[in-house]
Amino acid sequence: MTAADLIAFETEIADAFNAAQIRAPIHLDGGNEEWMLKVFEHVKPEDWLCGSWRMHYACLLKGVPPEELKAAIMAGQSISLCFPAHRIISSAIVAGTLPIAVGLGMAIKRRGGTETVWALCGDMTAETGTFHECHKYVANWGLPVRFIVADNRKSVCTDTRLVWNSNGTAKLRLNDLVYEYELPWPHSGAGRRVEF
Amino acid sequence: MNCHGRTAEQGDVSNSSYGAELRRAMTWLGEKPDTIWLGQSCRDPGTAMYATLAEVPMDKRIELPVFENTQLGMSTGMALCGYVPISIYPRFNFLLEATSQLVSHLDKLPIFGNGYKPKVIIRTAIASRKPLDPQVQHYGSFTDPFRQMLKTVEVIELTGAHQVFDSYRKAYERDDGRSTLLVEHTARYA
Repeated sequence: MTAADLIAFETEIADAFNAAQIRAPIHLDGGNEEWMLKVFEHVKPEDWLCGSWRMHYACLLKGVPPEELKAAIMAGQSISLCFPAHRIISSAIVAGTLPIAVGLGMAIKRRGGTETVWALCGDMTAETGTFHECHKYVANWGLPVRFIVADNRKSVCTDTRLVWNSNGTAKLRLNDLVYEYELPWPHSGAGRRVEF
Repeated sequence: MNCHGRTAEQGDVSNSSYGAELRRAMTWLGEKPDTIWLGQSCRDPGTAMYATLAEVPMDKRIELPVFENTQLGMSTGMALCGYVPISIYPRFNFLLEATSQLVSHLDKLPIFGNGYKPKVIIRTAIASRKPLDPQVQHYGSFTDPFRQMLKTVEVIELTGAHQVFDSYRKAYERDDGRSTLLVEHTARYA
């Protein structure tokens, strides 16, 4: 899977949405292809992936076949994509899968497993209380959970730094990652905005 | 096996008290290889529920910080890895803090999860107002509102001793992909 493959998939989904073929919200990825490819060099098939409503790239890079992913998106499931066979769990609720990631990490550690739980979220989620307590618990107990924060400085249309009156996102551990990017799409939809 | 040489499952409920039945249920659950307890006061004393865990092995108890919503999400995560967590909320008012994970995740994963069916057992209680009245923020009773909010999690209010063991056994043995919220009455623990 290359950056061009990812962009082509998302463009196809955008076209389908703008043609009113998807009657549910979508949150398109974009502008972070190189970061995602770099992250997924380290993700093993047996690892868990916990994410949000913006998970098309992550699902593709974790190994979900494009046609299977597209079918789920066309069926309206883009906002909370789950693929048990690939150990992917997503949620449409802010910070929703972070506590679940902590539990997965606890279970793996107690059983002496070697899997890693990858917890993906955005910059506003990284400012929430739930993020901070999950991150602190994982760090203090040495759980096999890695946080990846995709920072486009926005939550829907709200400027994250402005409303927090801050200059940056949460300080993370060395083995976590915050990357900045510019999303070429609106928060949701594909240009023909539908409020919901 | 308890001190009378009987296993928890062989206990006789006919003359047993509510509190004794809770201890029998917890002891029986403690004998299962996949159970794990999470919450505040499951390893350290401090609430009435703690005494009901007397015969649960310590290595099956994870004492947690006070972060109710994260606790319920953790329980869901551990269930996805094959554990059957017993997640403890000593008062119903405390469970309110975990409503998001309960209503939007544990309850809805069987619907949107494409096959994920985590099984969690949630213990909560309606507080007694004797010998001390814990005041209005601590004796809430929300069984019916939770029944209205939950689509897959079964809510069982334990009003009598005769219900206790069988309800916990059902919660553990069920294979219908549902979790169970069990509401106890601490006034009946003694």
